[in-house]
Amino acid sequence: MEIQTLSGTRRLLLLYCSFFRITALVVGGGLAMLPVIEEIFVNKYKLLTREELLDMTALTQTVPGIIAINSAVYIGMKIGGVPGALAAAAGAVTPPFTVILIIASFFPRLDPKNRYLLGVFAGIRAAVTGMILVTGCRMFRRTVKSKLEIAVVTVFFVLAVMKVSPALLILAAVPFGWCYVWWQTRRLAQAEEMPADGKNASETSSSGAAPETREDGGTGK
Amino acid sequence: MNHCVVLFFQFCKFSVLCFGGGYMLIPLLTAEFVDREQVLTMSEFGNLLSVAQVTPGPVGLNTATYVGYVNEGFFGSLAASLGLIVPTILIGCSAAAGINRWKDTFLVKGMLKGTRLAAVALIMFAVTIFFGMSVFTQSIPWEAVGALFKFERPVLPEGFGLSPAGVLICGVTIVLMLKTKLPTTALLLGSAAAGAVLSAWF
Repeated sequence: MEIQTLSGTRRLLLLYCSFFRITALVVGGGLAMLPVIEEIFVNKYKLLTREELLDMTALTQTVPGIIAINSAVYIGMKIGGVPGALAAAAGAVTPPFTVILIIASFFPRLDPKNRYLLGVFAGIRAAVTGMILVTGCRMFRRTVKSKLEIAVVTVFFVLAVMKVSPALLILAAVPFGWCYVWWQTRRLAQAEEMPADGKNASETSSSGAAPETREDGGTGK
Repeated sequence: MNHCVVLFFQFCKFSVLCFGGGYMLIPLLTAEFVDREQVLTMSEFGNLLSVAQVTPGPVGLNTATYVGYVNEGFFGSLAASLGLIVPTILIGCSAAAGINRWKDTFLVKGMLKGTRLAAVALIMFAVTIFFGMSVFTQSIPWEAVGALFKFERPVLPEGFGLSPAGVLICGVTIVLMLKTKLPTTALLLGSAAAGAVLSAWF
């Protein structure tokens, strides 16, 4: 509780040290950090509520960037403003930067000749293949909601295979997304107009999303 | 030094385009450094990612630091890490904090929908890259796959085939991930040990 009355500099130091500890200890992607973040900032220091952390998690996954750095920046910002964001990001970067620099100065090209070391790398690569596959399938299930969207993902995939630059694909996806959402809202609006029902009048327009498109339903204007 | 500035802006670009987590960096990085600039071979990139995966810290940041080092030594690492962070801070300080307020507007909703679909496709593409480095002995011959669609007889390149150790470890990892709650670290250490042992046979 006293933590909330901490002076500015102490607060920044706390942010730096916390994120230093988080990235120094957690192995794996940014989402693996989440339980540790909750332990430190929600349970121990009580600087964030659980709801704020949940909002933050959704946010860090929607804005571009690596999830780990996104979380550091947004939590830092929430707790200590812009200096807080800088302190948290610096803390998150220091340990991996140092560790990788040490490893890289010993094995700059990572091209081992030792058979067992090659085996170790091959083993980890195979495990990572499985992990990315599972992550990708989970993302697919969460994101892709209709046959049309399956087709769109397939087209993007084929273009990536044909060596279209990934950067270009993501940039092209933005205007496509606008057209798609515009088309979807229009179709939904038309579907609502067709059957003359009196139900609409009793409900506010924002809560009248169609059941099949729950996430991205016609909650627009 | 000049090259460090280029590296910094390259990683700024990756950071801005990286929707959907650190794995999205894989297609971006391979397209840039393996295919276009050829500073790394695919197998070096695979080893580098293995190291990034087992060392503590976020995979994306570890990979970036390593790729920066391979390019330009210490200052390259620094440029790459900073390149990933600076756009995030700029976005965070300017607009994105309000994204929760704007998330129902047409512009944000469309952007998220489109980029998410692209992200799913690109992560699946990253999976195929990794298949070529673990489950198969070489990268997937897309010409042969393309020939199948044209009803021609596909010609497999010399030496392309399944790698038994890779298939085994990849399969076991998937099953363990879906059926148990083992932490990632345990899976990675186990697969490293399994890889060393299996290399004695295959």
